[in-house]
Amino acid sequence: MSRFLFVVPPLVGHVNPTIGVAAELVSRGHEVAWAGHHDAIGKLVGPDARVFGCASPELVPRGSDLTGPAAFRFLWQEFLLPLGEAMKPGVRTAIGAFRPDVVVADQQAIAGGLVAEELGVPWITSATTSAELVDPLAGMPKVKAWLAERIDALRGGHGGPDPRMSPHGVLAFTTRELLGEVDLPHDDVWLVGPSIVPRPSTADFPWEWLTRDAPTVLVTLGTANADAGHRFLAQAAQALARLDVRAVLVDPDSSLTEVGDNVLVRRHVPQLDLLPHVDAVVCHAGHNTVCEALWHGVPLVVAPIRDDQPIVAGQVVDAGAGVRVRFSRATSTHLSDAVTAVLDEANGHRKAAALVGDSFRAAGGATRAADHLEKV
Amino acid sequence: MSVETTAPVTEGQVTQDQITGEAVLAEISGMLRVLLDEYGLDDVEITMATKFHEDLELESIDLVSLSADLKERYGNQVNFAEFIAGFDLEEIIAMTVGQLVDHVVVSLREAARG
Repeated sequence: MSRFLFVVPPLVGHVNPTIGVAAELVSRGHEVAWAGHHDAIGKLVGPDARVFGCASPELVPRGSDLTGPAAFRFLWQEFLLPLGEAMKPGVRTAIGAFRPDVVVADQQAIAGGLVAEELGVPWITSATTSAELVDPLAGMPKVKAWLAERIDALRGGHGGPDPRMSPHGVLAFTTRELLGEVDLPHDDVWLVGPSIVPRPSTADFPWEWLTRDAPTVLVTLGTANADAGHRFLAQAAQALARLDVRAVLVDPDSSLTEVGDNVLVRRHVPQLDLLPHVDAVVCHAGHNTVCEALWHGVPLVVAPIRDDQPIVAGQVVDAGAGVRVRFSRATSTHLSDAVTAVLDEANGHRKAAALVGDSFRAAGGATRAADHLEKV
Repeated sequence: MSVETTAPVTEGQVTQDQITGEAVLAEISGMLRVLLDEYGLDDVEITMATKFHEDLELESIDLVSLSADLKERYGNQVNFAEFIAGFDLEEIIAMTVGQLVDHVVVSLREAARG
């Protein structure tokens, strides 16, 4: 029996994949715990899970105009680097109290890798998005150096392994079918596929609203982009009102006022329960939403906003599983064309999505991840 | 598009005097308009001061396309990857069309000098 400590940032998409892996480890007789922001993590992992609290700055809302390299600077300078600094004491306490045999450190909770390395505990990277696997800053050496210097400063400036890419092993929740033929950072990057397990849903849903008479389209911009999405959602609502579909729009801020009769607006939806009934997803190309859609063989219209999303959107298009539109400029016409295109069987998007979904299930997900973690 | 009325800068066939910022700006504007074509850039004037990110909202995939367009137009005389690699984070955020135009003009003039 071993103990595994998951170090995670207060971001839903980074916590959810660890839940399935942890459950699998527990079913094999191991002990698990999380280190991270107590309330944010606690409500995701459930009341019975052991959570070691860590301090955490807030990810302040980012407007829709904060994109590209400016969004990168903001994300690191205003959130991930301060988060790394703030989480260090809590991670040290967690390791001291829980005595884990292995630390599983999320790529955006850099305190995990830094502290585990400092204390000599074996640590594995949890890559809940594949964007870092493709070396996104390869063409910008000065930007790469900017980040490396700041990360190194967090550990006292004496150098060491990149806390986002453990030399001991990287759990990457994707497969070749989505990632494409890129060179991986090292041999111990394990493509285990997404870790998708049923999760308790807090959102109710009027299931009777769905009908078999018309295809169902889900529009969601994920859990971290509500403030940026008002214009896009309004255009999407207009586009879908024109099509012979049933549409579900996730609008956390209730920014939409009038929509067509065939459009249902909800602040939250039980996404995993809904996806088996969905024929197309329009989203921001967040890695988790993309993987959950593809898991169910649902083709996508991707409108990346920032961060890893442009890379993930590129992977969806390259896999043939969807079409890409510009988040900031797409009009209702672009969006209705794109939705029509992915719903058209003749274009092959659904088939390509199903193939990626097959690869996900074959990769083993949480089970395969647990296999790797047991061997550390 | 107005670019067609401007004499193109053709590698190897021009004297240094013909490699003007004006001509290169027209060509690069043309490339950008093709890139963003279906998204209606009609209302956006592309000048030397236009910012790649803030004004045009270009994505990394667009920079890859632009790099290919530049290569097709100017061959190996212009190295876009090297141009990007020279910038630090603040410079990349603030990158303008004018900086690329200047880079292309300098590169072409150097190539023309042989």
